[in-house]
Amino acid sequence: MERQILHTETLDDSILWNNLKKGDEKAFSILFKKHYSQLVRYGNSFLPFPEKVQDCVQDVFTDIWIYRHKLNDAVVVKAYLLSCVRKRISRSQERDRVFRLSTSVDSLKFLFDFSIEHHLIADEITADKVTRLNQLINDLPSRQKEALYLRYNQELTVDQIAHMLDINYQSANNLLHRALLCLRKDWKGSISLILLLFSVVF
Amino acid sequence: MQHRNNYTEIEDFLADESFQLWVCFKDDQQDWEEWTLENSSRAKLVEEARLWLLAMKTPDSDLSNEDVQSALEATWKKIERKEENKKIAQPVIKLWKNQWFKRVAAVLVIGLLSGWFYNQHFANKNSALTYNELINENDEGLVEQTNNSDKPQIITLSDGSSVLLQPNSKLSYPKIFVGNERKVYLSGEGFFEISKNPQKPFFVFANEIVTKVVGTSFKIKAYANQPNIEVVVRTGKVKVRSNELISNSKDELIVLLPNQALRFVRENLIFNKITDITQDETLRHSTSTIEQLGFEFTDIPVSQIFKTIEQAYLVKIDFPQAKLKDCYLTTSLGDQPLPEKLKIICKSLGNNTSYEMNGNQIIIMSDGCN
Repeated sequence: MERQILHTETLDDSILWNNLKKGDEKAFSILFKKHYSQLVRYGNSFLPFPEKVQDCVQDVFTDIWIYRHKLNDAVVVKAYLLSCVRKRISRSQERDRVFRLSTSVDSLKFLFDFSIEHHLIADEITADKVTRLNQLINDLPSRQKEALYLRYNQELTVDQIAHMLDINYQSANNLLHRALLCLRKDWKGSISLILLLFSVVF
Repeated sequence: MQHRNNYTEIEDFLADESFQLWVCFKDDQQDWEEWTLENSSRAKLVEEARLWLLAMKTPDSDLSNEDVQSALEATWKKIERKEENKKIAQPVIKLWKNQWFKRVAAVLVIGLLSGWFYNQHFANKNSALTYNELINENDEGLVEQTNNSDKPQIITLSDGSSVLLQPNSKLSYPKIFVGNERKVYLSGEGFFEISKNPQKPFFVFANEIVTKVVGTSFKIKAYANQPNIEVVVRTGKVKVRSNELISNSKDELIVLLPNQALRFVRENLIFNKITDITQDETLRHSTSTIEQLGFEFTDIPVSQIFKTIEQAYLVKIDFPQAKLKDCYLTTSLGDQPLPEKLKIICKSLGNNTSYEMNGNQIIIMSDGCN
């Protein structure tokens, strides 16, 4: 049901945001409740430590309240929050890395795996197709996967994704396009294979 | 929703919220079902996009409402703690944000800085005498030599005295000494070897003190930016008094004998006599090569003597090596200035031996020794 809620409330975000800026504690709480679990889930796709992720998300909200006077008016709240969480986790990782003296400087890895809407699938053929597609999506490079996630599950615009991943618009667009393109090619191939198999069986 | 008629890619559908609602929640406010059936190629695309959505499910949150509520409470506590910390740091920041405070601080900083500069450049003049003032007092037409190199430099004066001037030091002296006094002015450090002439006492003016000698060797260390002046005597007798320009008490006259030294505290014009330089840590460590070298030679090859002189005065001596190969000398050159030392050596060698000196270049001409 979550998508529906989000759909109806996106408009309110900016109002709540502006009230928060004026010091409205209630607006803060509403925004918190609305986005918290989503942000935690997003954070969990980078870090396998749920408590640490929750800590980071709470820190993001803490800073938002404390520095509320300095907040920008014209933000897409959700994109802003997602981006803050990402940065926060990345920073905490970097700190840890310094301590661990690890050589890896690669930024965050999106470890999230998409799942399948089983309850919406009635027939076996569809199920097979969806399973295959799901596998292909989950095998994508982490950055492409994250772009897909942000675009189609968090409904960010390409612009916002580019900003979050610190790349330009064209690169973000390419990231998405490449992901879909290579998936479709793979998928088409495997589908015709499946169809062939089925036609042989029946 | 009319632009959906232009949808040609799966991406277009995936990004369409109402399409998502229809696929995932069977919420078909936009009549997607009907629209899809209008066109068969459209139906194919829609079916594909539907599969995509089904394959890209994000798991539902495993956080309950209570979890979120307690997280919110935890966050408020964090905020409280952070604001508490901020309050402690706040007054300083607030003070700094005050324009007046900034101005006052700026004035203070500028004031302190200029005070410091003043001290660095002019404060000496209050009680202390500087080299420049001393030179202005003299109207004999002085020659100034400055050692900007990193090695000591030898200066020969018209009376045959020599001064080994240390780096960052300068010496002013008349080209030719006239009258009954020989006066030179030092800033920095120099080792003096004065040719004997009781009729014409030799004076070294160094900052606030005047050193009077008849014929000796001694070192004076009088840098303009150092708090003390040092006089170290090697041979002979040296008399030191403060410059009358700054002091009326002419009566204080310090007499120094070999291996004695004097440290003059410029700030309060006090003389500290050091009766044994080997007992003084700083003096013992600051002796230069020339002070350490001995010039007592007993049956030493003359080439060896030249080498010692080269080391002591940092000069270069050219001499006919073959002709002077078998020449040995026994002589005492301890308190002689460099020209005197050379003269004595030449005389001892005899046989038309003479020397020429050009800066730090010395040429010995000889037909061999007796």
